[in-house]
Amino acid sequence: MAISDLPIFSMLRTRMNWHQERQRLLAENVANADTPGYRARDLAPLDFGRQLEQASGQLQLALTAPGHFSGGGATGGGFPLDRATKSDVRPMGKAVNLEDEMMKVAANQMDHQAAISLYSRSMGLLKTAIGKR
Amino acid sequence: MDFLKSMAIAASGLKAQSGRMRVIAENIANADSTAQRAGGTPYRRKIPTFRAEIDRALDAQTVGMGRMQLDQSEFRTKYEPGHPAADAKGYVKYPNVNPLVEMTDMREAQRSYEANLNVIGATRRMIQRTIDLLKA
Repeated sequence: MAISDLPIFSMLRTRMNWHQERQRLLAENVANADTPGYRARDLAPLDFGRQLEQASGQLQLALTAPGHFSGGGATGGGFPLDRATKSDVRPMGKAVNLEDEMMKVAANQMDHQAAISLYSRSMGLLKTAIGKR
Repeated sequence: MDFLKSMAIAASGLKAQSGRMRVIAENIANADSTAQRAGGTPYRRKIPTFRAEIDRALDAQTVGMGRMQLDQSEFRTKYEPGHPAADAKGYVKYPNVNPLVEMTDMREAQRSYEANLNVIGATRRMIQRTIDLLKA
């Protein structure tokens, strides 16, 4: 059993992947802050309910031969984009609000850190359970 | 790794903004560069342009400097009959550089540069935290 088979770890892993993907989009937005005609993009918030469903009550395909792929793998970069990102276009044709983006970068960093702390705490719980200090 | 992509994108932003800074420096330095010959045209202000580039290797939109454009506005003229670049009527053409505009542009470039630096710093801390998981 891999460590990511536990629901909490797989959820945190998805969460961290999401933050990583979001960081990439935010970096794009900041880098293109002075590009005329560029529209800021962002990820849609992670759906906690659906994630929970996927992590706990998931029906797996039966593996009848060792060469089979398992059905529900870890999600890669396939997070949906937030379609509702609105930004004002300034007179020079620039549509990125630098302050907003910096706030998002800071928030993203803090949330990522929270996920990391939860991950290491859960790991600590496991270690306690197997009697290692 | 995606975090390294974020860093590379922010680095492209740094590069573009420093390129813009170079053009602004050129404009300010040449703010009083008149022509060498009588009646000639002086230095013409340059305008840096940006465009989003699709980086295939990174699978992301980085930023790059586009083609340099020349400012087509009128030159300033001064009446200086004794100047070597003066035309037949005694007027000298000075570059169409407005130091005030260049200064505001410079501030904006500086601000964008700092924003990109901050993104790199934030990404670096995120990587650091992830690596710290191994220590726990």
